[in-house]
Amino acid sequence: MSCKKFEKWILRSFDNRLNQEKQKTLEEHLRSCSLCQEKREEYRTIIGLLHQEKEQEPKPYFWERLQAKIRKRQSVPFWVSVKHWSLRAVPISLIFVLVLTIAILLFSPAKEQELTQSEVLLLRNRNPLEETQLLFDQKLENQNMMLIFSALEEKNNIRRPIP
Amino acid sequence: MEEKDLVEQSKKGDEEAFRQLVEKYRGRVFNMALGMTRNTEIADDIAQEAFIRAYFGLPGFKHKAKFGTWLYRITINLIRDYMRKKERMPKLSIEEIKENPFNHQDEVIKREEEKTQAERRAFVRRFIRTLPEKYQIILTLRDIHELSYGEIVKILKISPGTVDSRLHRARRMLRKQIEPYLRRRV
Repeated sequence: MSCKKFEKWILRSFDNRLNQEKQKTLEEHLRSCSLCQEKREEYRTIIGLLHQEKEQEPKPYFWERLQAKIRKRQSVPFWVSVKHWSLRAVPISLIFVLVLTIAILLFSPAKEQELTQSEVLLLRNRNPLEETQLLFDQKLENQNMMLIFSALEEKNNIRRPIP
Repeated sequence: MEEKDLVEQSKKGDEEAFRQLVEKYRGRVFNMALGMTRNTEIADDIAQEAFIRAYFGLPGFKHKAKFGTWLYRITINLIRDYMRKKERMPKLSIEEIKENPFNHQDEVIKREEEKTQAERRAFVRRFIRTLPEKYQIILTLRDIHELSYGEIVKILKISPGTVDSRLHRARRMLRKQIEPYLRRRV
């Protein structure tokens, strides 16, 4: 096995991530390889120096300053919140209008259709031209008479007897 | 009161419960930011912002991870944001580090005499800043703050295998840069 591989093992051994068997193999190699021994010592020195010995303290009144900042952010000025919400208000209103339109189209009751007189007669399975046909079936004098009486009933003088 | 209860109380608006959480984690959060930024003012700002975000994010916190892990994730994200914004600023080059304490032989001797453990530590940490961001983060979490693999997996949302390989690469890169000085003695 190469020294490069053992270098990995050396580093893993610092993190206790080497099983017993590998640890034993590593120790055996280290006994015979001065280069890897030296490397291990160097790594040990570096990692040892990196370990935090004593934590430094942050600046004084850490909590008091933090508390003030939190309170300041909690009381956001009105115009800032309006500005913040106005950006969201546009898409929200558009979605609302869209949903409302769809709802109206889907759930509005169907408008009752008004039928014409002819359609009503057709619906009743009667000939809409029946009355007119009756008129034409009469003799000419009778037709005139019927039109006169009809005009009188409607008080309408528009209809004139057929000559 | 247990941490979970403190979180639940904080969710209900109990300031005292949240204060206790802040007291517990402020040091770690601040030092995590300090380790990456090397600037007390900025680290303090990041720590404050992390707690503010945590406070307002508490209603959405469902205890899927520990509060601390969740808070570290917020902190790491803020640090990343800061580092990306800072990219326009020149990165600390290896030459700058080389120049500083080990330039002249006299200074080397002087330094060697007065060198304390803290200085050695600071020296090694300065090299971390020359590494790419993801390697800085992994070294900060694992080797400085000694977080477990499990916690790192949750904070960075990467697999244990990735943690392993990234950490391995980061340590190798760091060693390569420090190696010449280590041979002399750090």
